[in-house]
Amino acid sequence: MTALTTAALGSVEASLAAGVSGVPLAVGDISNLFTSPTELASVFIEGLAKASLYLMIASGLTLTFGLMDVINFAHGAFTMYGAYIAGTAVLTVGVGSMGAVSSVGVFVLLIIGVFVLLALLGVVFEVALIRRLYEYPPIYMILLTFGISITMEELMRIIVDYWNVNSGREAVGWSIPREETVPEVLQGTFDVAGISIGGLHPFQILLGVLTVAGIWYFLNETRYGLFVRAGVEDDEMARALGINIKRTFTVVFAIGSGLAGAAGVMLMWSPLWRVNVPLALGVLLPAFVIVIVGGLGSFKGTVVASVLVGMLDALATWAFQVKVVTFTDVDQLLIFAILVVMLILQPRGLFGVEGQGDHG
Amino acid sequence: MTLLELDGVHTYYGESHILQGVDLTVEKGEVVALLGRNGVGKTTTFRSILQLTPPQEGSIRFREEELTGKDTYEVADAGIGWIPEDRRMFSRLSVEENIRAAVPNNASMSDALELAYETFPVLAERADQRAGDLSGGQQQMLAIARGLVGGNDILLVDEPSEGLAPKIVTDVGEALLSAAESVPILLVEQKLGLALDLADRFYVMDHGTIVDSGETSEVGVDDERLRRYLSA
Repeated sequence: MTALTTAALGSVEASLAAGVSGVPLAVGDISNLFTSPTELASVFIEGLAKASLYLMIASGLTLTFGLMDVINFAHGAFTMYGAYIAGTAVLTVGVGSMGAVSSVGVFVLLIIGVFVLLALLGVVFEVALIRRLYEYPPIYMILLTFGISITMEELMRIIVDYWNVNSGREAVGWSIPREETVPEVLQGTFDVAGISIGGLHPFQILLGVLTVAGIWYFLNETRYGLFVRAGVEDDEMARALGINIKRTFTVVFAIGSGLAGAAGVMLMWSPLWRVNVPLALGVLLPAFVIVIVGGLGSFKGTVVASVLVGMLDALATWAFQVKVVTFTDVDQLLIFAILVVMLILQPRGLFGVEGQGDHG
Repeated sequence: MTLLELDGVHTYYGESHILQGVDLTVEKGEVVALLGRNGVGKTTTFRSILQLTPPQEGSIRFREEELTGKDTYEVADAGIGWIPEDRRMFSRLSVEENIRAAVPNNASMSDALELAYETFPVLAERADQRAGDLSGGQQQMLAIARGLVGGNDILLVDEPSEGLAPKIVTDVGEALLSAAESVPILLVEQKLGLALDLADRFYVMDHGTIVDSGETSEVGVDDERLRRYLSA
């Protein structure tokens, strides 16, 4: 270790002492992130895992809001329902005590099942309610989806209270005893070449990659994906070419809702999110930030913004853990700082498409 | 059997009464020109047929089947193709994707692409380019190609020569002429010479109604009969 870093470490101690004595922000030394490749790799992998969660949260919204222009405030409520359905299922089935293969198998079935269930719910909402307001100014859609969200949240609160799911736990929400339900194979951390990796991280990253691949394939390689992209750009022309835009938009809304639910399944094991009613709002804000930062109408933008937010979140979490900063929630703050900076520098977002979301 | 028949069609944009009783017919094998100054309702006639701006009164029949009240995609499925003013490319889609989007669900994709690329070889060269990056003439070719691959029994062609260089106008005219061998066309075209060259019959519109009609062989470009309705 060089004299320089020793001196720097000394200053960390000094600033930590200062932090204890009441200084809110103790600016410490972040050099060990760069001098220790394994530390850096750990943060990087955690960043990718977080990015995958953010991506799953935002991927449904990038379809409904980014492409279809539905300012979908009910998005988070769909995620919350997905989390509750999956959470109830894993408690009932007792996934935690199962073997590695069967517990992961149940999890995959849950993702598919929740996706289908919430996609069907999305169809019901789109056909019965959302569809009627496409031609109206956006405020109508905001009020409608906000109303749907509140109704869904309160309904879940009633269900949770009635069946006493919360008994003995926090007043609001159902904090699933996560460790019991996480399959053993995914618990704890393991070391690869000195790099410490959370057990869930590779799993989350894998699902994130699969989500990206699945949506990319749908949009670019399927006939419906082609209809979606055509209809989003010019719905009149698409209809005049024989494309049933109403049905196409129903399908897109269904997929967006299903993805929102599937994200909930993913979040139930993440200690930062878990299963609770306020999850609806907790998910909604970062999802909107990511879609806006990435740029409306651009799936690539959403992927890049998810990675950006995930990496910064991981970095901020690390900075808190090693006490470079001594206040919590710096990750939340960073997410919105990214939004503010983006709106000032490039209001259309990273890869925003001209005309998309202009409501002209 | 009359292919397309409009009977007393009245169409509004909000409070504005645009079409005030339009009657016209297109028979099989015909090219029919719809002439008239800007703003007399030619494009609205197309939009009415397509049910993009549904008429409030009157009847539009295609092969004796009533179109009013149908959804636009059903009108398209029935065999009516639209080559709109300004081309209306899906500019962010590739040339090939633009063509694919126009092919009916049950039709052969490879046949459709072959037809489009044979008719306009330049489109084959640019198949993977974004349609928005094409020149105006190439966009017009792509718009016509979309109409051709749609398996349509009539094409509604709106201002195909607008904004194109004279050389390109000739190409587009030839493309339409070859298209007309297989599919009837209802054509809106400001260049009277081109319109009369392509069409067998004509209708003249003024203030939302048909004011004159006849065979194109009866009239010339400088004919007073047409001029008084066409010059500003």
